[in-house]
Amino acid sequence: MNRNNRADYLGHIVFILAILLGVPALLGFDGFELNTFARYLSLAIVASALALSWGTAGILNLGQAATFGIGAYVMAMHLKLVASAGNPDGLPDFMGWNNVTSLPWFWLPFQSLTVTLILGLALPALLAWAMGIFMFRARITGVFVAIITLAFLVALQLWFIEEQRFTGGQNGLTGLAPLDLFGWSVDTYSLGFYYLVAGCLIAALVIGSLIVRSKVGLVLRAIREDSQRVRYFGYDVARYETFVFSTSAAIAGWAGMLYALVLEFASPTYIGVAFSLAIVIWVAVGGRESLVGAAVGAILVNLAEGRLSDMFVESWLLILGVMFILFVLFLPRGLYGLLRQGFGRIARLREGQGPKDARAQESAQ
Amino acid sequence: METFINQLFAGASLASILLMVALGLAIIYGAMGVINLAHGEFVMLGAYVTWALQTFLGIGLLPALPIVFLAIAAVGWGVERAVVSRLYRRPLDTILATWGIGIVLQQLVRIGIGPESRFIAGPGILSGNTGFGGVVLSNYRIFVLVFAIAIFAATWALMAKTEFGRKLRAVIQNREISECYGIRAEKVYAMTFAYGAGLAGLAGALISPLVNTTPSMGTYLVVDAFLVVVVGGVGSIFGTAVASGIVGETTAFFSMLLNDTVGRIAVLVAIILFIRFRPSGLFPQIVRR
Amino acid sequence: MKRRSFLTRLGAAGTMGAMGGLAAPAIFRGAGQAWAQGAEIPIGLLFSLTGEVAVVERTLHDAALLAIEEINAEGGINGRPLKVHIEDPASDPATYADRARRLFIRDNCVSVFGSYTSASRQAVLPVVEQRKGLYWYPTLYEGRECSRNIMYGGAVPNQQQQDFVPWLVENFGGRFYLLGNNYVYPKEENNVCKMLLDQLGGEAVHEEYVPLGHSDFSSVINRIRSTGPSLIFSTLVGDSDVAFARQFHAAGFDSAKMPVASLTRSEVEVAAIGGEAAAGHLSSAPYYMGYSSPENERFVEAYKSRYGGDQVTHFVSEAAYFQVYQFKAAIEKLDPAEITPEAIRDAAVGVTLKAPQGEILVDPNLHTHLWPKIARWKSDGQAEILVQSAERIAPEPYWAYAGETCTGEGLVRS
Repeated sequence: MNRNNRADYLGHIVFILAILLGVPALLGFDGFELNTFARYLSLAIVASALALSWGTAGILNLGQAATFGIGAYVMAMHLKLVASAGNPDGLPDFMGWNNVTSLPWFWLPFQSLTVTLILGLALPALLAWAMGIFMFRARITGVFVAIITLAFLVALQLWFIEEQRFTGGQNGLTGLAPLDLFGWSVDTYSLGFYYLVAGCLIAALVIGSLIVRSKVGLVLRAIREDSQRVRYFGYDVARYETFVFSTSAAIAGWAGMLYALVLEFASPTYIGVAFSLAIVIWVAVGGRESLVGAAVGAILVNLAEGRLSDMFVESWLLILGVMFILFVLFLPRGLYGLLRQGFGRIARLREGQGPKDARAQESAQ
Repeated sequence: METFINQLFAGASLASILLMVALGLAIIYGAMGVINLAHGEFVMLGAYVTWALQTFLGIGLLPALPIVFLAIAAVGWGVERAVVSRLYRRPLDTILATWGIGIVLQQLVRIGIGPESRFIAGPGILSGNTGFGGVVLSNYRIFVLVFAIAIFAATWALMAKTEFGRKLRAVIQNREISECYGIRAEKVYAMTFAYGAGLAGLAGALISPLVNTTPSMGTYLVVDAFLVVVVGGVGSIFGTAVASGIVGETTAFFSMLLNDTVGRIAVLVAIILFIRFRPSGLFPQIVRR
Repeated sequence: MKRRSFLTRLGAAGTMGAMGGLAAPAIFRGAGQAWAQGAEIPIGLLFSLTGEVAVVERTLHDAALLAIEEINAEGGINGRPLKVHIEDPASDPATYADRARRLFIRDNCVSVFGSYTSASRQAVLPVVEQRKGLYWYPTLYEGRECSRNIMYGGAVPNQQQQDFVPWLVENFGGRFYLLGNNYVYPKEENNVCKMLLDQLGGEAVHEEYVPLGHSDFSSVINRIRSTGPSLIFSTLVGDSDVAFARQFHAAGFDSAKMPVASLTRSEVEVAAIGGEAAAGHLSSAPYYMGYSSPENERFVEAYKSRYGGDQVTHFVSEAAYFQVYQFKAAIEKLDPAEITPEAIRDAAVGVTLKAPQGEILVDPNLHTHLWPKIARWKSDGQAEILVQSAERIAPEPYWAYAGETCTGEGLVRS
């Protein structure tokens, strides 16, 4: 256990150094490449958010895109208002097209950047908290959580598209102003912006890891294995589940805010089933048991997607699909599982343990 | 009143299509706990096989049905042997693997046959409408409704009355003990998966005269079908049928009252509430743990 | 150990990316010169080859590529061949944004041709405007946009509707049932239609939007039956249009008495609907595959021999094709030293060209003057042109909105 912890810490440090120093240097500090990579990093944040609820507590949230998308819309609403400052009444253009004459009340708070930043975390968290109470109090688990979150996601996306006058409908929120972060005009092609996103990713990983390693994390893992037994021990299972579910949602919302900054628009596809399933895939590839693993999974899959689609315009999707199948078949615990297995074996070899012992130890973990 | 009856039929017709798509999924999920996200692609393949039979061999939709069933069942059997059979101990992972399979099938069709939509003619004898007063019912939709009910009855009989059904139910209850009695669980699983896939293929053939046949046509079907399966109660095909009926009629009712978007949102919310208060579905299956 | 080797792999992938990227900034700094000096002119194609929009965008990709190949076969533009960078945005707006960045920034394309849906155009817009690029958009769209970085090759509402709606009212009556998918394009077209109906004394008996991809129209058909309109004015796209047309036909409506009048239906949808169900219904568009002109015969001939005899051309793929030639005409007017996206844009204004649909002209507002035609679909999947507009119709993206005009200086409010 201890040795594995040490390996995990080492992994964290290697990952953080790679993100902070390795990647920018490899990319030659080129604005375009940094921008592209910043996009991957913001997706890595939402992947680690899913790993927090799925890997730790076994809550498979197929609607993770919902909280991510809300974060993106929150950020885009603020930037849209900034961009519309010159219009009569400060009314965004698309509202005028849809015969809305004055700014609706729920848009008003987003005039303030501070409030926006808070709401980008708080709205997803509150929503998840309400859903958490709704589901977990009734002891809904496993595939039923997946179904409820999925149905919710589909309904939310339909509703966002339907309310075109307030949300921009299918086109989403476009024509945004650049972010002015307390005096710093954010250029999304700069090293500074890259470090902003990288910093957010590291912060999310640290917060997540603290939770996983705390006593709460222990209880959550116990819930993953057998929630009934944890309940018999007198723990309020629903409360723990709701907690991790909302924390994960807040982190996802944060990722969404960054994503809207990178791409300079918010779209209802961010709240889509395809995107939500993609997040699950990234986490599965990286390894759901590790937050860093999930983040690496997101980065690698997106990197692969980007490279493959450049090289094989016709068949990149085919290659990607086959890769996923092979991953699930042969690396059920993702890259993280593979590394961990390899790491454990090496450490044991060094300590001169026989393979038989090792297997016994592995199954004991 | 006439509008109401027309709308009632619209709901029933929607329900019959849902049932055709969901039935295969229900069997696969109920029997093996496999969440088959490639089910929509099986439906799509069914439509494309119908198209190929019609275009290249001149076989009409109705005579094509058995061929489509066998062809897609064969595809399902292959998928089960190659991938799904390795994952029975990790049912959640089947979500990911079958998603990958879905991508691959879709892209293979796009590369092999082309991305454009294909035209499939409906059966000539079923064109036209049956009307009395202001009530107008499309003959083809009546046929799909009757066919879906027939397939449902056949599936029920297969499960309840045949040797194969008995074996399958035994394996569902307890795989190890069934194997002790000489049932080859592997074979039963493969047959079941193939049967479910074949049903999806039939669904694809049946809806092809009503919708647009493209490589991505199955994508949205699977989500709805899966919701129906869960509402019906895992492992209960009877529940799936009732749930299809309820979802179809509710959708039609809300669509009449409001519009199709709001109708869909309302049904989704109703499903969420239903699962919350009755997670085991309409007709829970009793399985020993 | 494994971790390290995997990181090396990550590093390797990163380096691959970097190598592509490293060259870019150097070129970008001296952009004008790079475009002037290189032997090839770099352009991009950004049409989805995978995902649901691929059904249509593949044909746009093919048509644009055909024009590029034709130009290169004749030695390029002013002796410089076109170097085409192809990206697949996979029908996803976020991917459009990402791939557009690649084309404009990394590959330094002087122009990019792309997009079918409004959402994907909007996703590309931030990077095009920021990088002062030029994006050639071949699709009909809702208007109310006046970007100085987009060349609009398709029709705006006034071009499709100003002749069409009065003709419909005269021939079928003024009770319109407005049916579209739930997004900005159908809503804008219907706004314009309702304005015209007001002037003509007609009315919209019902206005309804279904989700994109919606494919069960029994409820809609029941509603049509109970409202009994003179015609269905449709802005359904793709899967929804095909599903609706087939179910409408199956429900037994007579196209001679209550036709579907569509702004979006082209040969692509009709091929999927089937001749029998499509026959008798109406469309308004600047181009049909069966239109007879020497230019069109050449285009259809070349398209079929390149991509197969069963392929169809349609009013968006025609624009994807002629826009490449507009681009060529603009470059030909420029001195190699002054080639920049903005110079191409300015040179393109006023370009006239014999396109398959007739002689077209680029307006200072960057939209295109077109030849709208009203047609009735026949059972062989082709259109029979009923009314040919008497003159070339000018694009007015803000037609329905008094006090706003899109001009060569951008949007002007009065």
